[in-house]
Amino acid sequence: MSENLDSLTAAQIASGVASGDFSAVEVARAALDAIDSRDAQVRAFLQVTPELALAAAEEVDARRAAGEELPPLAGVPFAIKDNMNLVGTRTTCASRMLETYESPYTATCVRRMLDAGCVPVGKANMDEFAFGSSTESSAFHPTGNPWDPDRVPGGSSGGSAAAVAAGMAALSLGSDTGGSIRQPAALCGVVGMKPSYGAVSRYGVVAFGSSLDQVGPFGRTVEDVALAMDALVAGGSDAFDGTSRAVEASFRAHVNDDVAGGRVGVIPELMRAPGLAPEVARAVEEAADALAAQGVELIEVDLPHLDAAIAAYYAIGPAEAFSNLARFDGVRYGYREPGCPNLAEQSAKSRARGFGAEAKRRQMLGAYLLSSGVYDKYYYAAQKARTLIARDYESAFGRVDAILMPVSPTAAFKFGELSDPTQMYLSDLFTISINIVGNGGVSVPVGLGADSGLPVAAQLVGRPFDDARLLSFARAVERGLASAGRGLAGAVAPLFAGKGGDLA
Amino acid sequence: MALTEDDVRGIAEYATIALDTEELAAMTAYLNDAVDMLEPILRYAAEDVEPTFHPMGGSANVMRPDAPDDVRALPQDEALANAGSRRDGQFLVPSILGGER
Repeated sequence: MSENLDSLTAAQIASGVASGDFSAVEVARAALDAIDSRDAQVRAFLQVTPELALAAAEEVDARRAAGEELPPLAGVPFAIKDNMNLVGTRTTCASRMLETYESPYTATCVRRMLDAGCVPVGKANMDEFAFGSSTESSAFHPTGNPWDPDRVPGGSSGGSAAAVAAGMAALSLGSDTGGSIRQPAALCGVVGMKPSYGAVSRYGVVAFGSSLDQVGPFGRTVEDVALAMDALVAGGSDAFDGTSRAVEASFRAHVNDDVAGGRVGVIPELMRAPGLAPEVARAVEEAADALAAQGVELIEVDLPHLDAAIAAYYAIGPAEAFSNLARFDGVRYGYREPGCPNLAEQSAKSRARGFGAEAKRRQMLGAYLLSSGVYDKYYYAAQKARTLIARDYESAFGRVDAILMPVSPTAAFKFGELSDPTQMYLSDLFTISINIVGNGGVSVPVGLGADSGLPVAAQLVGRPFDDARLLSFARAVERGLASAGRGLAGAVAPLFAGKGGDLA
Repeated sequence: MALTEDDVRGIAEYATIALDTEELAAMTAYLNDAVDMLEPILRYAAEDVEPTFHPMGGSANVMRPDAPDDVRALPQDEALANAGSRRDGQFLVPSILGGER
């Protein structure tokens, strides 16, 4: 009997490998076959890694043959955002600057997924250096949304979201500085989580905004995301990342916890935000109904300083990006302009030719904001606004366990539709505030929008380091929607389901 | 007051990004748009609150022992492997001061 990977969650793949229903090598071959059949159209990958995948899968099978107990995600194919180092791959950040950069070591987050038995199938496309919300700023190629390849997958982790939505990987890793996991998850109809700041090590992940960046997983079910979170935090805090904290690996253990009696906040004012599509507002209401039906009390809360979040983010983010990307000077790594008479010219021309337009814009904005006389006006004020936004959340979380809100104001848009950079920034309204304050957030698919026919989603935001409980609310939304015939749990985008990916 | 192309030329020099004339014009328009978008932040400058430079208050600086880190330190050849130009185990750069035009 031939079974297709599309019908299996990460949890089912790992349990099937552990019980010998199929081998890890069979799974890896099926995933590589799915990539062969589907990625010409999706273009989620910048590099596919069959050798690494098969070697990791063979190791899993050898361990099983030797009678060893297999790790929790043994044999699960996963994709890696291309700003994360993995020895044996290039880490390009989708930039000409790093087109030939070979990973000198492996990022802790990637290492922990490998330790959990995952099989790396490739490096996923992204907005250049993670600057964007559509993956259109990749220097190499765009990525199509698996639900409609004429539309964007979101960004910046668009390749990671699309790879999972198209069934080319059961799990993937992304990074989220202003919504870069949650927004592409919403647009591609998969689950995506930004954990609390510090929950996952960033060692080996190319930095964008150091007070904002956080690594997290994508999956097609909440349970799969919980399993990935367990893998990412197993091993405790990482001595190689000073912001890393120990988090209990109990995500899977708590994911099906009863949510009855829990309190979830809703923000009526936010639901009237200009530009919020009616079908997205409806999706958030459906998620609220699903929670209420399971005994969750919905409570109105207010985040009065949220209107400052976009401005605060676009002061803090570019300033930090400018500092972080100063390291790309064409000397130690990265594109080097040949034939320059002196170092200053070599640096300025290497950076001019190596970086794409948006990467230059963000760094120029950051340079301006940090310049003498301007610093106090914007950057310092933004950090004060950050204090006020954090107080808003703290006060709201005195009354509720999680807050429900939209993710992206609309479903996936067409390529080129949001061509003005500052207009694109405004689409981050619902995601950026928790990067500013550090709390965890998760995007859960609600179904296909009545108007667009494309995936729409709802976001849950949790208390700091209460990410396991947050996922139990996300699971409750998923469970409630499924029992009403809604949601997309486990679904591979229909355009690609069944194309390749059979388990031999 | 709006940024001029001259201002933006100065910022580009500070940012070490060589912009051509066409880019300079587009960048000036962008920076003025972006700075306008930051306007809402100005009203917080006078707020009597402490700034938060780092989320999740309470995290302090993390120090490590001042000793060689054999796990993370890359061997010389690996550290140099991604460099565009190297010689005798070192990164090679053009003249730091001057250089003929």
